[in-house]
Amino acid sequence: MRISILGAGPGGYVAALKAAQLGASVSIIEDSEVGGTCLNRGCIPTKTIIASTDLLSKIKDCNAFGLELNGNVIPDLVKIIERKNKVVGTLVKGIRGLFKNRNITLKEGRGVLKSPREIEVTSKDGSRETLGSDTVIIATGSRPAHIPLFPFDGKNIISSTEALELRDIPKSLIIVGAGVIGCEFACIFRELGTEVTIVEMLPRVVATEDMEISEQLERELKKKKIRLFTNIRVEKVEIKEDGVHAFLADGKELVAEKILVSIGRAFNSDNIGLENAGITKGSRGEIIVNNKMETNIPGIYAVGDVTGGLLLAHMASAEGLVAARNIMGEEASIDYTVVSAAIFTSPEIASVGLREHQAEEKGIQYRTGHFQFRSLGKAHAMGEISGFIKIISEVSSDRIIGAHIIGPHASDLIHEAALAMKAGLTAGDIAGMIHAHPTLAEGIKEAAEDVHGEAIHALRR
Amino acid sequence: MNPEDIRYHKEHTWVKVSGRKGTIGITDYAQDALGDIVYVDLPEVDTTVEANSEITEIESTKATSSVISPVSGRIIEINEELSESPEIINEDPYVKGWIAVIEMENHSEIDDLMDASEYEKYVEEESK
Repeated sequence: MRISILGAGPGGYVAALKAAQLGASVSIIEDSEVGGTCLNRGCIPTKTIIASTDLLSKIKDCNAFGLELNGNVIPDLVKIIERKNKVVGTLVKGIRGLFKNRNITLKEGRGVLKSPREIEVTSKDGSRETLGSDTVIIATGSRPAHIPLFPFDGKNIISSTEALELRDIPKSLIIVGAGVIGCEFACIFRELGTEVTIVEMLPRVVATEDMEISEQLERELKKKKIRLFTNIRVEKVEIKEDGVHAFLADGKELVAEKILVSIGRAFNSDNIGLENAGITKGSRGEIIVNNKMETNIPGIYAVGDVTGGLLLAHMASAEGLVAARNIMGEEASIDYTVVSAAIFTSPEIASVGLREHQAEEKGIQYRTGHFQFRSLGKAHAMGEISGFIKIISEVSSDRIIGAHIIGPHASDLIHEAALAMKAGLTAGDIAGMIHAHPTLAEGIKEAAEDVHGEAIHALRR
Repeated sequence: MNPEDIRYHKEHTWVKVSGRKGTIGITDYAQDALGDIVYVDLPEVDTTVEANSEITEIESTKATSSVISPVSGRIIEINEELSESPEIINEDPYVKGWIAVIEMENHSEIDDLMDASEYEKYVEEESK
């Protein structure tokens, strides 16, 4: 089986490795760098920078931990970005090494479908070649959405991509869009000392999360003195001598050194020859696939952001595995019921399964259990007591149908609840398991106990 | 000792009335029960609040708790100092640790509140 894969992000490269593992002969085409948005312009770069800002935050608070700082700690963005580039470089090399190890051919250039079985690759030096294959996987991803209201100049009006390459810490920053990306950058730059203002069109921050998570994050942003305007649109942006001006729908005018626009992502489905292969797109430009990740054209699969589903690296990878297995003759279909997701704000957020309002909309009879991190010994020892854990279970079966965490290490803690969901376990099952002390994971147990009003370390309600 | 010149709500808040203005805060009992206060989610000036409903939340090292307003009205002033130093409430709940000033709508609401000795008895009952 010869497979050509368009795009070497977390969807494409994982599909490539899986297919090669199953015996395929794989070529993968990438016009930027392997690892895609996730590794080069997204997940990994932001988390690497957050490692610096988290440390900075701890150092600023060192007196509370009985440590005296003899001098100042000064963030140097050039060096922070250098470290980020080093980490990214290491991981890029790692993926290239895996390709080599599995005899996967990496074609560095821009690929365009010429027919359902042919891709023309144009390398950076202009040379062209046509790859023929038995099947194709499209994994071209997404990019920051550009809309005319925000005339990006890469300097004053920027997207997340440019924000990861800044050399100087901006004195002030307006962030348009309080989704995952907007809120993560708000926390990063605020920690570096930037005056941050967020403007969000929707009524709440991280609007796809559970309502209580949004409320708590709004409070945490307020604690950091990040200004937040929700339920309001930016109507006009102008670059003037004193900075970028944003005009809000209610007549307010905000001024800052830069504006970071994080209002969504556009799918990379143009100029890749979909029309030459007859592949159907949806109204948002996404490639339409079935639950086997196959497009309307047999033998052509698509995975990851370009299919318009959940824009998560690990979702793309899971879809890549499904596509590779189907191509190699196994039966696999994608299941979106248990997908953990994390937001690396400070504190972190993580979720899996249904939000409370979704359970309500579905007409499910449910119970919720809450537990505050401030009731945990470990959280006090760490000096990170903000946030809570919330578990939602179905009344009739007691099975866990959703979990939501805001607080220290939320992104790691969520997986206990996710595994419980996957295995069909109940709140009682988690409550009945002995958890090690002192750990943050005890909070999961207590939240599960609280589903039945039995949390040991919570005050009576 | 709880001051004599203020009125107390059963949710452990107090109001000090001066004309139409009522300054509110939480009681010494409340601050002691909460432990070290780490954050006061200050309300916004010009918003209105109903008696017996939440005016703000306080986070302490032990809990996150609602602060229940003893009176109805419009918030005309907030204690900005609490945003930097929430621990003022622990140190001085009745004077420096005030939370907000409310322009009261209905003076008679004061009559539903307790005086110092009634509140002391109430706290004694509650902590039994």
